[in-house]
Amino acid sequence: MSDTRDTTGSPDTTDTVDTTGTVDTVAAPAPAPADSPPVQARWSGRRAPRGRRAATLTAGVVLLLALPFYVTSFWLQTGLFAMAAVIGAIGLNLLSGTTGQLSLGHAFFLAVGAYGYVWLAAEPSGTGAGSLYGLGLPPVLAFVLAIVLAGAAGGLFSPISGRLRGMYLGIATLALVFLGHHMMLNAPHVTGGFNGRSVPPLDIFGFSFTDTSPDGLAVLGVPFGGLERLWYVGLALVAVAWLAARNILRGRPGRALGAVRDSEVAAAVMGVHLTRYRASAFIVSSMYAGAAGALLALVFKRVVPDHFGLLLSIDYLAMIVIGGLGSVGGAACGAVFVALIPHLLTKYADDLPLLTAPGTTGSGVSPGDAARYLYGTAIVLVLIFAPGGLAGLAHRRPRRKGDGSPRTRRFPLRTRTAPKEHTP
Amino acid sequence: MSIGTTPTTPEAATAPRPDSGPDPVPALTVENLTVRFSGLVALDDLSFTVAPGTIHALIGPNGAGKSTCFNVISGVYRATTGAVRYADKDLTRLAPHRIAQLGVARTFQNIVLTHGTVADNLMLGRHRLTRAGFTASALRLPHTVREQRRHRERAAEIADFLGLGPAFDKPVGGLAYGDRKRVEMARALCMEPRLLLLDEPVAGMHPTERSAMAETIARVRDALNISILIVEHDMGLIMRIADSVTVLDFGRLIADGPPERIQNDPAVISAYLGTPVQDTEPEAEAEPEPGTAADPDTDTGAGTGTGTGTGTDTAEGTAPDTAQDTERDSEEAS
Repeated sequence: MSDTRDTTGSPDTTDTVDTTGTVDTVAAPAPAPADSPPVQARWSGRRAPRGRRAATLTAGVVLLLALPFYVTSFWLQTGLFAMAAVIGAIGLNLLSGTTGQLSLGHAFFLAVGAYGYVWLAAEPSGTGAGSLYGLGLPPVLAFVLAIVLAGAAGGLFSPISGRLRGMYLGIATLALVFLGHHMMLNAPHVTGGFNGRSVPPLDIFGFSFTDTSPDGLAVLGVPFGGLERLWYVGLALVAVAWLAARNILRGRPGRALGAVRDSEVAAAVMGVHLTRYRASAFIVSSMYAGAAGALLALVFKRVVPDHFGLLLSIDYLAMIVIGGLGSVGGAACGAVFVALIPHLLTKYADDLPLLTAPGTTGSGVSPGDAARYLYGTAIVLVLIFAPGGLAGLAHRRPRRKGDGSPRTRRFPLRTRTAPKEHTP
Repeated sequence: MSIGTTPTTPEAATAPRPDSGPDPVPALTVENLTVRFSGLVALDDLSFTVAPGTIHALIGPNGAGKSTCFNVISGVYRATTGAVRYADKDLTRLAPHRIAQLGVARTFQNIVLTHGTVADNLMLGRHRLTRAGFTASALRLPHTVREQRRHRERAAEIADFLGLGPAFDKPVGGLAYGDRKRVEMARALCMEPRLLLLDEPVAGMHPTERSAMAETIARVRDALNISILIVEHDMGLIMRIADSVTVLDFGRLIADGPPERIQNDPAVISAYLGTPVQDTEPEAEAEPEPGTAADPDTDTGAGTGTGTGTGTDTAEGTAPDTAQDTERDSEEAS
């Protein structure tokens, strides 16, 4: 294309959107085949070469697979929390990042997944006022059904989630968090009330994901307890969640959702059923939250209402903003960041200045609060210096060598999305 | 261009066109269409017909209601009264995505691009022709992968047809204005439309690009044998490619017919150039103005014509305005 050939020499045809190059708009549409090879080469330079990406990926996977052999249970537990967060953040990212629908109710669907799993898998116990209901299903089935249950809860909300857009949906979903909290406290037979409920362990055909049964399991001389076993379940779930989200985003639904975010009018005119796609995105996001909640329950071994509050929803929003809206990998990185910080701060509270370990008296900040300060700061920094989030940093075009021209200054606070220039 | 009509003509028949098939392209009939925005009459009892397989132009001064008409046809706005008949359906009763399903595609006056590459945008155009849902896409079921590949090939052909071939895998954000305008057009063509609505397809384009686009539009009609309804201020282009022209002013139809007749229609001339206070014949000398003088530059063509022609004595408000629609709205409300 001859137009693009014209811009090859100019420094700024970055992936930021605003190159309305009226000056460059010179030539007739006649393509110039001779010019295409350099153009292709230039554009393919946007990403790291395929081989290196594959190598990085393999190294990462091997590292994750090998971790249980080397690290303590604290790290495994923290890692599993991070995995649950990754799954939930990928789901929220589909809704908020890709479709542009704000949701503050993510914690509610996490709770549905967590309590759903417990209720479906637990045997009924107790009598009278203290009795707890449960269906006693096989835990794997219960896990799957918990995801379905969360999806169904999202589906029940679809008359609202399909019609409201953006901010307005955020406000509507806010109600869900409080509704959920109320239900958790006031349905003690299902949820265990204020004190919560203990979680039946995962069990696949007699292989239990606890420290026992089979007792004393050891792989390569390393004792494999519940956390080690669960680690691989978590990894598998993350892999499935990641691949599914990536496939959705690269396929027809992903394009439709992106169009809904960018311009509803254009999307509708292209044949995208707005209501249905908004509702579908909400349901899919709820199912991800359900999976995250169920995994969280398995790691926690106990579900309590207070964990699933508004702050959890906000944590998830922080994850996807820090990670970069619309990117699966970014959401995962943001989730790891936000999920790890409180645990790390708690562990090292004694060694860090200004912090007071929970349970001790001191004038410092508690690790939980400090974590929120930290990622609050992270959000501000990301919004100013890396609007694309962590994913945006990774995809930033490398400085081109040789042409000698200075990099055009990036405007801070410019959003990654194009300005809305459209009025129908 | 070497990738001219040849790839498109045979492929158009083989590509999936669920509800077109062998049946002829239907006519679009706008019947007594009225659109009011709380007291403001944007379209007033408008009726015209787009004959199958023709390029039909909708012209008029800024704020005449052309875009409103487009928005009603594509389902974005609701009509107050009246109907738009197409393929035995009343489009005013259908949601936009249902209208798209009937094979009505449109482009926008301002470029509406989603993120991603040109390919992503064109594949969005294939939305109505593909079926893959969330589950099938998440699992990458074989038929989904096949479907995607097949439609991607077709999208690549359409990109070639519009000269976007080398840009196919590039991010749209980095393309030049004229290219992005063509992406708009290509995306609409990717819907395999039977009625194509083009809202100012060459606005802001370079003259060379403009004539290339005009040629493309004419070729689309000939190759695909579809109807095209076009809103454009470039009178030269309209007169060259349109088979029929409808002229609007203040939401009312003031002329309808072949371009030659429109060029000499006194009502059209007065709408574009203004009516003199006392009816003097010399004004009629300026008749060919809309057709010829407006040729080199679009919007300003009519505007400068006014400045030199009738000037300030067009106080009745019939003067063509170079202002934006909003200004026109307030003017119209008075």
